[in-house]
Formats: sequence, C-alpha cells, structure tokens
Amino acid sequence: MVMKTERKIKSKKAQGMKSKISPASPFAKKAQMKIQQMSFMLLGVFLFFALVGMIIITVKFSGLKQDATDLRDRNAMLLATKLANSPEFSCGEAYGNQKTDCIDEDKVMMLKEKENIGKYENVGKNTNFWGVSNIEIRRIYPKYESITCTSTNYPNCDRIILIDKPISGFDHSNFVALCRKEKYKNEVVNKCEMARVIVWYEEVK
Amino acid sequence: MIKNKKGALEFSFTWIFAIIAGIFILFLAIYGVTKFMNIERNSQDAKTAMSIGVLTNPLESSFETTKRTMISTPVETRIYTGCKNLSGSFGEQTIKVSQKTYNEWSTGGVNVSFPNKYIFSENPAEGKNFYLFSKPFELPFKVGDLIYLTSTKDKYCFKNAPNDIKKEIESLIGINPSANENFFTKTADCPEGSINVCFIGGNDCDIKVNANSKYVDKNGEKMYYEGDALMYAAIFSNKNDYECQLDRLMKRTGQLSDIYRDKSKFVFEKTGCDSGLDFRLVLLKNTAENFGNSENLNIIYSIADDVDRENDISWECKLW
Repeated sequence: MVMKTERKIKSKKAQGMKSKISPASPFAKKAQMKIQQMSFMLLGVFLFFALVGMIIITVKFSGLKQDATDLRDRNAMLLATKLANSPEFSCGEAYGNQKTDCIDEDKVMMLKEKENIGKYENVGKNTNFWGVSNIEIRRIYPKYESITCTSTNYPNCDRIILIDKPISGFDHSNFVALCRKEKYKNEVVNKCEMARVIVWYEEVK
Repeated sequence: MIKNKKGALEFSFTWIFAIIAGIFILFLAIYGVTKFMNIERNSQDAKTAMSIGVLTNPLESSFETTKRTMISTPVETRIYTGCKNLSGSFGEQTIKVSQKTYNEWSTGGVNVSFPNKYIFSENPAEGKNFYLFSKPFELPFKVGDLIYLTSTKDKYCFKNAPNDIKKEIESLIGINPSANENFFTKTADCPEGSINVCFIGGNDCDIKVNANSKYVDKNGEKMYYEGDALMYAAIFSNKNDYECQLDRLMKRTGQLSDIYRDKSKFVFEKTGCDSGLDFRLVLLKNTAENFGNSENLNIIYSIADDVDRENDISWECKLW
C-alpha cells in the first residue's frame, strides 16, 4: 500500500514537472518573455557597441586619408624643390659649370618621347617613378600663348608636359633655369631662360 | 519545494544565457579592439616609413658637398630597407618600419615602395635617431643619389682611413660633434662596441676595406666597388642589398644612356653639334643592361671612363 501511494505521488510530481515546461503554462510564458527581453537587451548592447566601433573606425580612417594626402603634399613640395637635380632633368656641366636648379631642356624633350617616358610611368602601384601624378615645366620668359611643346614646334612653346594624368589634385612649383643648345650666327650657344617646374599630386579619396 | 525548484531552473537558464551572450560580446569586443590596435599600429608604421622616404627628397644633390641630416622618431624604431630589382623598369626601394610600444615590437607595417631611391643601411637599423647622408653615383653621368642610413646607436670607427675619406667623414661630423655622433676617425675616440671599419689592416676589424683590390669585406662576403659612393654603400649595407641596388642603378644607367643618345641626335639635328658619343653610349647601355654583379664593375667603369673623356673633349657639345 505504502509503495503504491509513493508511486502515485511520484507520478503526480512527474505530471507537475511536465506541466511546468509546457508552453501553455503561465510560468513558461514568463520565462520566454524574460528570454526575449534579455535577447533584445543583448542585441541592443551589441548594436550599440558595433555602431560606436564603426563611428570610431570611420573617423580614424578619414584621418588616415588626410595623413596620406599630407604625405603626398610634402613629397610633392620637396620633390618640386629638388627635381631639377634629378639625373633625368639636371644640366650637369653641359651648359658651362655645374648649375643648381637648372633643367636641361634638350634632355627633357627627349625624356618626353613616348619610348623614354613610358619607362618612368606606372612603375609601381598607380604611381610613376617620382611618386607624383603630373609633372610640367612651364617657361616663364619669353612667353608664348600656353603652347604645349612637341618635337615640331620646339623651342617656340612654353609648356613641356612630361606626365599628364587627368586628376583632381594640388600642385607645388619651383623656379628653375631652363637651358638648351642653340645655333646663333654659325655658332653653338647655350641659351638659358626662366621657367617653373610644377608637380601635381592627387588627393586621397 | 516544487515552486523553489521552478525558480532555480528559471534563474539558472537566464543566467547561463546571459553569461554565454556576455562572453560572446566581450570576446568580440576584445577581438575588435585588438584588431583595431594592430591596424592603428600598422598604419602608424606605414606613415613613418612613408615619411622617411619623403624626408630623403632633400638629399638629392647637385654639386654641393656631402651633407648629413638626422631623423628622429618618438619611440624605438626598426627600419627595414629592402630592394626589389624585378618590379617595374627600375626596381624599387622598400622601407618598412616596426616600432616599440608597451615594450613590444609591432609586426611591421606594409612595405612602402620608392622607385627613385637607393638606400643603404644595416637591416634593420634600430634606434630613435638616424643619420642620413647621400653621395651622387656617377657612371659617368649622374645616375642617382645613394642614401646612407645609420642609427646613432651603431658607432662606426673608421681606422686608418685615407685622407680624402677621413676629411669627408670629419666634415660630416662637423666642428662640434653631437652627443649622438656615430662616426669616429680617431681610434682613441671610438667607444666600446664600435663597428670597426679598417682600411689598411688592423685588429678587431668588423669591416675591411681593400682600397687596392677595391672591395669591402663584410661578414665574410666581398662587395666590389668603384668610387667612394659605392664604397660607403658596401660598408653600410649587406651583400644582397648591395648587389640588388647595383642592379637597379645599372637599369637606370641603361635608360639614361638612351636619353643621352637621343639628346645627342636631337642637338646634332638642330645645331649640327656632334658629341660623337652615339656608339659609346650604346655600348654603355648594353654593358649596363647585361651587368652581372659587382665583380664586373671594372668593365663598365672602363667604358664609362672612355665615354666621360669623349664628352669632356667635345666641350661645346657636352651632353652632361
């Protein structure tokens, strides 16, 4: 008899347990509600941190782009002041003694030729040999009407465009002497004029 | 009792769920912050590397004497200079920087490339202050500026240097040597642990310069040179980088020979002035393009000497 009563109690307990996890029970509904609340809360916290993280990353990377543009700017500025001394541009002793900030116009015209300048363009990832976007030498005096130099109109022109990429960017320039050999009264003479070397760089977007 | 048990089950499940989700969020947050810090450090390294490259622009020399500048970094820095001779028409100089923060070296940012630079240095050069000086490399026209980068931590003791080298180093040091000075020409002044650069024999030599056979013996490897610019290059770099940079310089020599040959023709057509260098420049270009290693330097230099002599003779039509 005692055993039977115990079994009855056990089966009642089991039934009670079963009814507790039944979805229809008010306890189960309350638990589900709590889980849902908790998940929404966690989702909210997670999304909040994700958004804050994204804002920080965006701000940081926009600063990084500015830094990259600043470095390009500094490179262009320093290059403009020293480009005339680079072997592809410098006069050396071709026009008398060594000259500083002197560009050999005859040499630059030959550098401009496609088979030569082609080797200096696109040497790296979207960059040319000097790490700037465009390079131009503009004669200041005597002045022509912004005529671009070609082998046919040289030297009656005032713009030697070495590298010309369509870019939106900024420039830095430096004044230089532009020297070439000319024939004057059956004699070969050195002729130097005033020019500006302009270096463009592209803004990092 | 049953009610208590129900409460225990409800409580524990909620807590387990919260703990698991919390751990997940914390783990993600820590992972994100670590990643972000690494990106930040790498970008800082890349910025420093780029700055070092940009700051070498003023070292482009014309005819002034050798000059030296110092660059300083806010923290301990390792500068890795590399050379790639296969990319592009002229190869690339790469610079990578690793900086010490929280007593730990960063993994090193990206390699920043400069196709128009030739830097010779220990690999890596480590410290907070670095000296840079440059010398033009001529073959026989100027091909480029060789930049020498040394850390102020590495003290170089130049023993028995020939007079011209000694004078040049003394001019770099200046009248009042700074506390960071790392070049010494008097053996008595050399600090302990210096890197000894011996010119005529001597004891305790880390680097031996044989001026007669024109080679620098460093780490048991011979690097042949011609002229002071290459001698310094061999002293401050290692065999692999030295040979690679020489190869890059030869590529540029070949291209410049082409430009000078074109200029020679161009000037002749418009003025009738003949430099008479066309054939020699082709020979120079071919020799430069087929350059093997520093052992062949004497061959190309003998051609260059010949070209230079001819250029000097035709003074009215001088090409460089």
